[in-house]
Amino acid sequence: MTRLSIKSIWARKVRAFATSLAVILGVAFIAGSYVLTDTIFAAFDEIFSESLQGTSVVITAQNPVKQESGEVPTIPASYLAKVNGVKGVKEAAGAIFTPGGFFNEENKAIGTKFAPKFISSTLPKGLESLTYVDGRRPRGPGEASLDKAAAESAGLGIGDTLKIIGAGKVEPFKLVGLTQLGHASFGGASIAQVTLPVAQQLTHKRGQFDQISVAADEGVSEQTLKRRIEKVLPLSARVETATEKANRSSEEIKENLGFLQTILLVFGYVAVLVGAFIIFNTFSITVAQRISEFGVLRTLGASRRQILGSVLLEAGVIGLIGAIVGLAGGYVVAVGLRALFAAIGADLPTTSPVLEARTVVVAFLVAFIVTALSALIPAVRSTRVPPIAALHAFRPAPSRRRRIVLRVLAGLLAVVGIAFVVAGLAGGGGIGTRAARIGGGGLAVVVAVSLFSPVLVRPLADLAGRPLEWVRRLTGRLARENAKRNPGRTATTAAALMIALALVTFITVFASGLKASVAKVIDENFAGGLVIENSDGFSPIPAGAALAAAKVPGVKSVASIRTAEAKLVGPGSTVKVNGPTPNIEEGVDIEWVKGGPEKLRHLRDDEAIVSDDFANEHNLEVGDSFELLSQSEVHSKLRVAGEFESKLGVFGDVLVTQAVMADAFRQTKDTTDFVILEPGANAEKVQAVLTLGAERSFPTAEVLNQGELREEREKQIDSVVSLFYVLLGLAVFISLVGVTNTLGLSIYERTRELGMLRAIGMSRRQVRTMIRYEAVITALIGAILGLVIGVVFAALIAQPLKQEGFTLSYPVGTLIGILVLAGLLGVLAAIIPARRASRLDVLESLQYE
Amino acid sequence: MVVAEGLTKVYGSGEAEVVALDGVSTAFERDRFTAIMGPSGSGKSTLMHILAGLDTPSAGTVTLDGVDITHLDDGELTKLRRDKLGFVFQFFNLLPVLTAEENLVLPLSIAGRKPDQEWVDQLIRTVGLEDRRTHRPAELSGGQQQRVAVARALVSKPAVVFADEPTGNLDSKASADVLDLLRRAVDEFRQTVVMVTHDPVAAAHADRLITLRDGKIVQDGAPGGADDVIELLKQLD
Repeated sequence: MTRLSIKSIWARKVRAFATSLAVILGVAFIAGSYVLTDTIFAAFDEIFSESLQGTSVVITAQNPVKQESGEVPTIPASYLAKVNGVKGVKEAAGAIFTPGGFFNEENKAIGTKFAPKFISSTLPKGLESLTYVDGRRPRGPGEASLDKAAAESAGLGIGDTLKIIGAGKVEPFKLVGLTQLGHASFGGASIAQVTLPVAQQLTHKRGQFDQISVAADEGVSEQTLKRRIEKVLPLSARVETATEKANRSSEEIKENLGFLQTILLVFGYVAVLVGAFIIFNTFSITVAQRISEFGVLRTLGASRRQILGSVLLEAGVIGLIGAIVGLAGGYVVAVGLRALFAAIGADLPTTSPVLEARTVVVAFLVAFIVTALSALIPAVRSTRVPPIAALHAFRPAPSRRRRIVLRVLAGLLAVVGIAFVVAGLAGGGGIGTRAARIGGGGLAVVVAVSLFSPVLVRPLADLAGRPLEWVRRLTGRLARENAKRNPGRTATTAAALMIALALVTFITVFASGLKASVAKVIDENFAGGLVIENSDGFSPIPAGAALAAAKVPGVKSVASIRTAEAKLVGPGSTVKVNGPTPNIEEGVDIEWVKGGPEKLRHLRDDEAIVSDDFANEHNLEVGDSFELLSQSEVHSKLRVAGEFESKLGVFGDVLVTQAVMADAFRQTKDTTDFVILEPGANAEKVQAVLTLGAERSFPTAEVLNQGELREEREKQIDSVVSLFYVLLGLAVFISLVGVTNTLGLSIYERTRELGMLRAIGMSRRQVRTMIRYEAVITALIGAILGLVIGVVFAALIAQPLKQEGFTLSYPVGTLIGILVLAGLLGVLAAIIPARRASRLDVLESLQYE
Repeated sequence: MVVAEGLTKVYGSGEAEVVALDGVSTAFERDRFTAIMGPSGSGKSTLMHILAGLDTPSAGTVTLDGVDITHLDDGELTKLRRDKLGFVFQFFNLLPVLTAEENLVLPLSIAGRKPDQEWVDQLIRTVGLEDRRTHRPAELSGGQQQRVAVARALVSKPAVVFADEPTGNLDSKASADVLDLLRRAVDEFRQTVVMVTHDPVAAAHADRLITLRDGKIVQDGAPGGADDVIELLKQLD
């Protein structure tokens, strides 16, 4: 018996760890998300403050409208003379710091796809923040330096050729120096430095600066100098102290990357929720198994409170382990997430890991609250054990009343949840509130389904289990019966997987709809020919590319679209403005609601064509006027000349002429060029010529035909989807731990039964098969429920998007794949319990009580 | 036929050493009903476990139909259990998820064999559960469950049926039914039954009674009636 009790203690230790694992993984993910984002922000802070080393005051242009594309307005070079005349200015210099592209001799891109590459200008020694670790500063045309990390990863050394592209054609430079900025890593970002005139010419900013850096005389404070400079410059110049500038940059980064933290945390909390189901289940089962133990304690005089305390203490220990190990695991998760982002081409800056007090507090709170809440119901149940339970097997059957209460509760919850989802979909409130409503409603529905699922376990187990019985009659049959034996238990285990797979399904269905819709828009509106765009899919392409393309034989003309953001004066909302060339409709079809192609071809600079959505939202009719504020502080009054149908927002909200684009929005670069071919021209040949030209002169540009364009867009969606899959993988994994844990506990309960089966001739292999099938059935129940919920939600959310041109498409193959995968995951989850069950000693099992 | 030769079983070592079986040799002939008795700790259960291949002896051998079963691996033991052995346990040990009839044919299902329906029907008639075929164990009385268990042990027509305290959890009426069933298994179906019991009434149903004490056989012969068995046990005390 001693051996047996030691074994049961050991079994419990393993179980305690497995239960903790459910908390640990969720907490680790949350902690890791915080550590990662905090570290990224700290790295940016370091980079910003380092880059202002020696600078007291910074002058930039005001930009009241934030640009997604990262285009920042410039200031005229003439300001420099004015600044130099201010008392207390020791030294002032204009600088360029503009995104561009870097390539090696063979036109291979340097740096990761989505990370920014900056072209910067050299500054006088006193204001320079880059340290030269090798070589020297560039002194004139044809010379450039590159940051050491980028050079090393690209295998470049002093004397090698570095090709830089700004606003015009790519130009070759000789690498003369390697730089470093403080100790933080830029991640995938990189900086190349050239002399100021070269930088201005590369970025087409002749007579312009991105910024003026000023050093103060000794004894002159930053604030004083700032005030003095402000007096000599117009209001459109933003004058900040170095500290203010660094803080603003940090804030902007936090705002821009805040979504990253939110998304990661959402996945973290999904994992925690899944974990909660598992903790609840484990405690429910162990409390049920320890009924006679509690009975004995009660006969010995233990109070209900003591029993409750002992169970909650166990939960507390689990929570504590979860918090501590989870926090430690957070570091690992942070590293993993970083690698994940790097893998999809978003290599973020980093520095030594940052553990904020907030992270620790959240980790402990989440771990304790989740375990305490999950263990509460089972713990309270344990107090209801009467002393008599010590004497004979006592099984408190859930009362009819409680079952009915639970079902009513599930029904109410489902109704409330659906109401929230509908309210969120119908609109009203910002995107955050809507997302919260939909998410909260979804959560309520999921919990409702899991409360209701014990009823569904029997039919679903039959559905999932029958096919297994065709393969293995008896073991399949027993597995099915065992899964149905304790519907509540199986339901909770399956519910954990259900949540994870519902999200997987939702994302799969939604993404497939998105892909189908994008493909449809491209197929319907694209008039054939070729498209030139930036290889990252969103940045502008150099202005010269369209001109060069138009000269290629076989090309009839090139139409282009330029993009900028503006603020609508009055409501203050952000407006996406596009400036097409008049011949745009030779390249793409616009679906007209009011007006027609003629309107666009003869559009005047004080006219605009708006999307039907924009018109409806702001009550605009043809002939009405509205006013836009550009980021360079230019107000443009525009009269509505026509309306087009918004399709997935490809043409934005407002179409204006390219003259307006240049004057008011300072946008002279194309987002997309449409190459219209001569009738009878060989498209393949033209594309080959264009591609060759792009490689030679504009390596950031990419020439695509219709099919490739569609593929490119689909690939972009796919990469986001796979990122989400990986993030959801954790929740799936936790739910598998749940399957393993539940099976382990069930086996422990059925020890004697297993001993008997072995005694009457069941082989180890058969035992394993039986357990494995039970896991597969449980997993499939979760998968079926998850698939249904995911598909229903995707269909619901697609409803309001339909008028935007969104069409749902059900990827039946992938959905079946998810089902099959769930079954396989069940097999994986069963490995440990199946092995343990098959290795039970027959004799010991038979004597086991 | 089961032959045990020089069976010794030692648990623990050093001072904690316990000799459960001390050189037991005996044989169980076909078509006989043997009862093994003895006080607690006499080694009767250990003997049966070793005879049935559930435990391994420290020394000695067991042969079943000429095959040494003390050195078989798990796969061979599994095959042995399927083909040659039947078990009846104290706690019935029916699968709660299966019906009475499914439980009855379970050994055949496990072995992947088709049950001979005539034989199954005959067994069900013999155990008197014709109207309980589709009931689950929870819907059966203890005696009914144990009768299903006995039928289950017989369904594969094994060489030996081992019964471990088959009446230990039953009232006297149900016990009588189960013992009667084991008796008929030997007489009508020509089965070999070895039963461990501490119930003299149960032992009296057997053809032969082996009594153990301190790991040794102290008596071997016909049991006579229940009173004779009680008298015998008294003498041994």
